This record gives sequence, C-alpha cells and structure tokens, in this order.
Amino acid sequence: MIEVNHICKDFISPKKYPGLKGAIKGLFSTEKVVKSAVSDISFTIQDGEIVGYIGSNGAGKSTTIKMMTGILKPTSGECRINGIDPSKKRKENAKNIGVVFGQRTQLWWDLPLSESFTILKEIYNVSDEDYEKRMEFLNEVLELSDFFDRPVRTLSLGQRMRADLGAALLHNPKVLYLDEPTIGLDLVVKDNIRRAIKEINEKYNTTVILTTHDIGDIEELCSRIIMIDEGKKIYDGSLERLKDLYGSRRKVSMEVKQYDSCKKLKLAEKLGVSEEDCRMEWDDEKKILGVSFDKHKVQVPSILNMVMEISEVKDIQIQETELAEIVKEIYNHGLHAAV
Amino acid sequence: MRKKMKRYFRLYRVLISQFFKVIMQSKVDFLMGLLGFFFTQIMGIAFLYLVFQQIPSLSGWTLEQLIFIYGFAQIPRGIDHLFTDNIWLVAWRLVINGDFDRYMLRPMNVFFQVISEKLQPDAIGELLIGTILVVRGIANGTAQMDAVHVVFFIISIFAGAVIYTSIKLFFASIAFWTKTSGPFLQVAYEMADFAKYPTEIYAKAIRFIITWVIPFAFVAYLPASYFLGVRGTFGFGQGAQIVGTECLIAAIFWTVAYALFNKGLQIYESAGN
Repeated sequence: MIEVNHICKDFISPKKYPGLKGAIKGLFSTEKVVKSAVSDISFTIQDGEIVGYIGSNGAGKSTTIKMMTGILKPTSGECRINGIDPSKKRKENAKNIGVVFGQRTQLWWDLPLSESFTILKEIYNVSDEDYEKRMEFLNEVLELSDFFDRPVRTLSLGQRMRADLGAALLHNPKVLYLDEPTIGLDLVVKDNIRRAIKEINEKYNTTVILTTHDIGDIEELCSRIIMIDEGKKIYDGSLERLKDLYGSRRKVSMEVKQYDSCKKLKLAEKLGVSEEDCRMEWDDEKKILGVSFDKHKVQVPSILNMVMEISEVKDIQIQETELAEIVKEIYNHGLHAAV
Repeated sequence: MRKKMKRYFRLYRVLISQFFKVIMQSKVDFLMGLLGFFFTQIMGIAFLYLVFQQIPSLSGWTLEQLIFIYGFAQIPRGIDHLFTDNIWLVAWRLVINGDFDRYMLRPMNVFFQVISEKLQPDAIGELLIGTILVVRGIANGTAQMDAVHVVFFIISIFAGAVIYTSIKLFFASIAFWTKTSGPFLQVAYEMADFAKYPTEIYAKAIRFIITWVIPFAFVAYLPASYFLGVRGTFGFGQGAQIVGTECLIAAIFWTVAYALFNKGLQIYESAGN
C-alpha cells in the first residue's frame, strides 16, 4: 500500500534580475525565490491498482514521483511505500520498487543489453532460479530476445523502452513507477508496452503508478486517475466518474440551407434551458450551425425539430466529448465547481 | 557487516569488469590516455633537471631529494586518481543534468555507486613513475628504508590517497548546492601540484594553505621529507608524528567530506524533464 500524506516540495533558488546589470546585482543579493512544485498532496493507493497520475507540463507530476521513489526529500509531509519512508530508508525502499523514466534510460549505455541485466541481477541480489523465471516471462511479454545482445545505444526508442521496462521489473518490484513510458513511441509499440504493463499487473499484482500525456494510456490501463495542477491535487477518482462529470456535453453540427434565418433562432430560450446548457456556434463560411449542449438536459431530436422548422438540413454530425477534450478543458480552465 | 563488505566487493568486481568491457572497445583511447600521462610525468622531471642546471640547490634541497619527493607525491595521487575519478563528474555534470537520479534509485550506497562506475587507467602512469622514482631514491641512498619505514610508507600512501579523495568529494559535494562545482574542485585539486616540491620554496601564505587548509603538504612533502631524513633523525617517533598527523587529517577530512556529501543527497533537487 502506498500512503502519501500532505507532501509539499518547494524549490528555492536565488532571485534573478534581467540583463547584465541584473546578473551582477544577483551576485550580491541574498533574495530567494521559493517555487512550490507540489503543495499538500495526499492519496492512498492499494496493492495492485494501476493509477494514472496526470497533469500538464510542470504541474508537479515528476516531482511527486521523485519523492515517492526517494530521489527527492519532501519539504514537508511524508510518503510510505509499504510502510517504508523512502526519504529515510532509501536503500530499503529501492529494493521494492521499479522505475522507468521515459526520457532517460537507466541501462548501461555502451554495454550490450544482456550485460545490463547481469549487473542488475547482482545489484538486486536475484537468485539464478528467479532470474531464469523472470527472464522467461519478460521475454514473453516484451520480446527482449530480438535485441538482447546489442549495445543499448544502438536500440530504437521502442526497443529501449521495452528494455528499460524489463530492467525495472527484473527484481519483481511490488511497485512500478512509470514516468511517461510511451512518450515518442509509435502506435504498435505503445500497444505492446501497454499490454505488457497490464499483464505484469495481473500476474504479479504489481502496483503501477504512471504519469502520461497520452490519453490512450489512461483509457487502456488506469482504473483510477489522480490529476494535479500547479502542484495541487484537483481530481482523484475513477475514469468513468470524470467522464460522467465532464463528458456530458455533446455537440451536434448541422449544415443548413437557410443559414441566415437560422441565425435568428434562440434555441436555449425555446427549449427552456440556460444559455450554457445549449450553446450555439456559427461557422459562416461553411454555413454550419453547431450546438453544444448538455446531454442530460437537452435531447438531440428536440434540437433537430427546432432547426428543421426553419430550414432544410443537409447534413448532421453528432460528437461525444472525448477524454482528451475533457482533459484539455481542465488543463485550460481548471476544475469547475462541478466536482 | 562482513557480509555487507563481501557483497560490496562482489558488486565492485562486477561493475568494474563491465567498465573494462566498455573501454576495451576503444583500445586507442586507452593507450592515448596512458601515453599522455607518461609525457606529463616526464615533463615534470625534465623541469626539475632544467632548474638544477642553473642552480646547485633549492632552499638546501638537492636534485635527488626533490626527485624523490616528486615521485613520492605521485603515488597517493595515482591511487586516488585510479579509483575515484568519477567524483569529477558529480562536480561537473551529474547533479546539474539530473543523471544523479539513477544512483538514488538503486539499493546501494551512493558514494560506492559513484566510484564503482569507473577506474581511471591514466593513473597507471602516475603510479608507475612514482614507484620508479621512489625505488631509485632508495637505491641510490637518497632515502632510507627499513622495516619500520616500509610500514609508515604504506600507511602514509593510503592516508594520502584518502586526503585526496576527501578533498575531491568535499568540493564535488558543493554541486548539490550550486548545481555545478567543477571550477572549485579544479582549483582545489591543482593546489596539490604545490605539494610536489618542498613547501619552503613558497611564500608564507601558500605554505600555510597547503599545510593546514587544503593539506596537500601532508600527502607528499612532509612524509617524504621524513624518509629523506632531513628533519634530523629517521627515528620512529618522528615517523609516528608525521604519519600519525597525516592519518588524523585523513580521518577528519574524510568525515567532513562524507558528511557534506550525505547532506547534499538530502537536498539534491534533480532536474526537470
């Protein structure tokens, strides 16, 4: 079980002033700038969960992960990973976790991949028997044998990521941290990686915490998401609930013949709902009328009826809001009162 | 404890043998490095010869004595250089670009991980020249060696190497606060060059600094002068005093440097992606 209790992380840096004059001034000034990267985040994750940890760039995702893995010490608050505080017992914690940073390999760059695994076997004290068993499984899900004897620097990004994932799993960690594991990968490799993560989670009940910007990762893997923004937790719950809360908007686009007379139409008023629940958008060039509405309050047929009373409709398109849209919306405007 | 030591020795062997596999891939680099260091050493000795062609003695020291001190100075420096060269990377690169992260993720002592990543074969140049010059000094009677001296000699060399390592670690650890501390480390390390010659030839301020602030004098000149017998006797008491002080300095410097390094780990900030 992972418990994160009110962790904060501040980065303190000397104040900088613009220009050459400023640079000299900066040398003699003792003013400090405190940047709060993570402020007061708490959550609990049970064994075997796959949790998506998401947020825009600079929201504090990596900082949180780095505190949970023992790289950074929290300014205040504490993490407990299966009862161990990584800021106090770094080595003990390190035995039980696997970490993959998508942007930075942890393998030995100039050595054949096989050598990296030999070293890791020693470092994590994996017995020969366990090693054989693990490698067999990892080979099966990650297909490492194709490039097992090649130096890491010659691997493609997709191969390298598979290798990194395998390396992080060799000692059968209870918790696996993945920081953007699918960044820059093509669709097929992404799919492989996701399937591998899923299989590992199912077979060994490994807890997985992953940060990502790829909505596909979340939709395919995560039963739960934690969303942070500017260092604060803004959402913690199931994917379904988030979709429910934010995905209730739909949009219907109609290509109309009598475009100008449609412009006079006041849909929201006629349907007896607020302007926000039934917003009209105009595309003058293509003569398309778009209506963005709340699917719980307005039905598509009633909109169509209203419009067709005035004009002939040549084409209709109905769009559900996708998760990507929801996330974009939240990143842009923060979380509304809805939650 | 013993089990732990055994495990670390085993790990060291595994990690270093991997390192050798990598450098053997580029034998040319390896040989060039070695050759470069031989040239540096030969230039150093040539410099001494040139000086002594102009003047018969330097503050009362003969050429043979200076060569012995020079050679002696190379040995602890070489040992430190061979084993802990990777500390330089902490100062210059690893902290500022966040590569230090990987040490924090593995269940091993962090300092051990830093030094077990690399052996510096260039150091063999220093060790070889150092040994040749010291043996030569003993052979031609410039320096004295009996059983007691040999024991002191060995202790002194290791204490000297520890002082070198501590000074490097201390200045490299500053990088945790300043992100990079390469220039500081460079200056501190180059102070060691002063210790190749008797400290009497320097101005008072420099003599004070290299004896008591960054005590490179204790790494080379002071113990070497004991073996040369220039302080009057070659006695046991004299040796115990000089080598004992050297060990004490090594212990203090190591404690301080390692504490600073550990403090640095606590405030390590990594780097953004």
